[in-house]
Amino acid sequence: MNRRDALKNTALLGGTAALSTSLLGLLQSCQAQARLDWEPQFLSTAQAQLVGALVDTILPTTDTPGALDVNVDVFIDLVFHKMYDEAGQKQVTTEMTTFDEDCQSKFGKVFADLDGEQKTTVLREAEANSPKSGRGVWGMSVEKTEPVGFYRSLKSLAVWAYCSSEEIGKNVLNYDPIPGPYQGCVPLSDVGKVYSL
Amino acid sequence: MSNYDYNYNIDAKKNMTYDAIVIGSGMSGGWAAKELCEAGLKTLVLERGRIVQHLKDYPNIDKESWDWKLRGGITPAEKKKHYKAIRTNWIGEGNKDLYANDEENPYTEIKPFMWLRAHQMGGRSQLWGRQTYRWSDLDFEANAKDGHGIDWPIRYKDIEPWYTYVEKYIGISGQALGLPQLPDSHFLPPMELNCVEKDVKARIEKNFPGRNMTIGRVAHLTVPHNGRGQCQSRNKCSMGCPFSAFFSSTSVTLPAANATGNMTIRPWSIAHSIIYDEQKGKATGVKVIDAESGEMVEYFAKIIFCNASTLSSTRILLNSTSNRFPNGMGNDSGELGHNLMDHTYRVGAMGVFEGHEDKYYKGRRPNGIYIPRYWNINEETQSDKFVRGFGYQGGAYRAGWGRGGNMDDFGADFKKSLLNDPGPWHFFITGFAECLPYHENKVTLDTDSLDKWGQPTLAIDCEWKDNELALNKQIQEDAVEMLEKSGLKDIIGFDNKHEPGFGIHEMGTARMGKDPKTSVLNAHNQVHGCENVFVTDGACMTSNSCVNPSLTYMALTARAANHAISELKKQNL
Repeated sequence: MNRRDALKNTALLGGTAALSTSLLGLLQSCQAQARLDWEPQFLSTAQAQLVGALVDTILPTTDTPGALDVNVDVFIDLVFHKMYDEAGQKQVTTEMTTFDEDCQSKFGKVFADLDGEQKTTVLREAEANSPKSGRGVWGMSVEKTEPVGFYRSLKSLAVWAYCSSEEIGKNVLNYDPIPGPYQGCVPLSDVGKVYSL
Repeated sequence: MSNYDYNYNIDAKKNMTYDAIVIGSGMSGGWAAKELCEAGLKTLVLERGRIVQHLKDYPNIDKESWDWKLRGGITPAEKKKHYKAIRTNWIGEGNKDLYANDEENPYTEIKPFMWLRAHQMGGRSQLWGRQTYRWSDLDFEANAKDGHGIDWPIRYKDIEPWYTYVEKYIGISGQALGLPQLPDSHFLPPMELNCVEKDVKARIEKNFPGRNMTIGRVAHLTVPHNGRGQCQSRNKCSMGCPFSAFFSSTSVTLPAANATGNMTIRPWSIAHSIIYDEQKGKATGVKVIDAESGEMVEYFAKIIFCNASTLSSTRILLNSTSNRFPNGMGNDSGELGHNLMDHTYRVGAMGVFEGHEDKYYKGRRPNGIYIPRYWNINEETQSDKFVRGFGYQGGAYRAGWGRGGNMDDFGADFKKSLLNDPGPWHFFITGFAECLPYHENKVTLDTDSLDKWGQPTLAIDCEWKDNELALNKQIQEDAVEMLEKSGLKDIIGFDNKHEPGFGIHEMGTARMGKDPKTSVLNAHNQVHGCENVFVTDGACMTSNSCVNPSLTYMALTARAANHAISELKKQNL
């Protein structure tokens, strides 16, 4: 079952008093979407909605679970909260503001409030304009590259959060905790999926 | 089947006097303990950190990423605690407790130097890369032939029986090649190359006669051996192996020493200095700081093995001053602390291999490929740009979901591809170059900067010089060329310009030699002028070859310990 669907209709009721004026404005303009059923530790509600909408667009629910089904947004909030230092937190906060401001200036709405086609347009552009991470050797990049920027670093975080989650790692990817002696050349079709570990 | 006993006797209160004291319980200390205990010597092993009982004290042995709140990531506060070693990018939730606390154990980098320390039983033998290679006479004769440093007091024939002895006990897997520059070990069956590695190997060996590519030689069991199980390709070695399939002192040598009933291991014991008796003209014991209480305790023994790791052993010797040795034990030559070496690191090339898209592998092989040294190995391969040489490690792999952030897409199709397509095959090689022994690459005691226990710390003053930089240049050029001629695409050459220390193969600072005027140790690793003290970790190295050093430390230790046992019997110590 989708926990989010279940909570969708009740989320607004309990939290209205605590909502900021900007969020109220947002909700008034867009009653049907963009609400939160969890309490971020680092992100503001609006930022959490941005992150949620981004990861949902990058890894939507299909015949396999999507990012929101495995709480990728909740985990990313935790990463910002616990793993980022102050400078990193400041930077990502600024980047999120800029990202939504760009959406505002183009479409008059923040990213979370855009329709599917508009979201795709925004991410196509972000994808094309984001430098790639350098290839790595033994845990460190060996390629000199430009900073990847907000979109690609969020996308990388989302992929990590998604694939390292128990649901995806154990039940969707090929989970092989004790492979036995290494076999160097097996048909891909025998493995079927990408390895979890 | 070996007898391993993981229930350690840690009671060092009743008895202050032993036959032997071993300082350190890592790669070489474990071997010293095993050999001395098995010869019947009552042995005290001093460990500066906690006890690590094999299997029992591996809290992360079965954890997966989702079992940790941050999926293996760590916080800025934890990073700060490891502010020196964090540069490696290897420290995560699952292994952070195996790395020393850098805040409590500072050192000064006069020039940048990454010194990685492991302060618990087993030391870095729990963290090592497990690559295991013999040296050859090309290495032992190098200094004498090209005039850099001083001559080794030993040759291959002196150490060969001890390589054999160690290998047969611990189990090394690999492929015999019969190369003079990289002698074969007594091998268990090799691990398998994957399909891309097999192709690249064939292309390199065809296009570059004299160059070989082989599976890495590793201290992993590919068949059961001495009561230990075979590698199951989990590649979580540092978190502890439930099959005891890789060698560490906590899984093999210390339990073997313990099984004799002759070993006492004292945790939380920081060796302060070695006690020298001016009348007897030899060492009588070790001053120990209890890491928990801060109290100083003295233990006594007939012989002392110093196996605290390269720089820590030298720090102990520098701190061991007496009328006889005013500048540190064994420092008549003035060479103690000097001639620090490491291997260069992360210089090479990588590219994408086209083909075998319908193939994958099974298992996370804790090993890669090795390309043995091919420069300056005979008349035909002399370089006019540098002396010595380098070898490469590397391997081929499919990127898997780790490539997701860089893929050009998002949405439903992207997710499908992320989950189902392992992505292109990448292949890389990265060189390890020999470093010459320079007198001016050194460590000194820094009495202005003290550690948590009020003890002087080390100041490290070390840099690569022209020869190492020329080797690195060649590493990268050759790597790119080999990948190009092997048909790889999208090739990049790289040199991360890491400072010394990144190779984590620090060697030298108490070198062996024939002449007490120019060296610290003799041909059996005994301190010149204080022959009942043996230093058999990386500090003893007179040059540093280009191959991984641990096997040589183990062989030298077993050799020195057996020399000590025989000299004790003759009452020469």
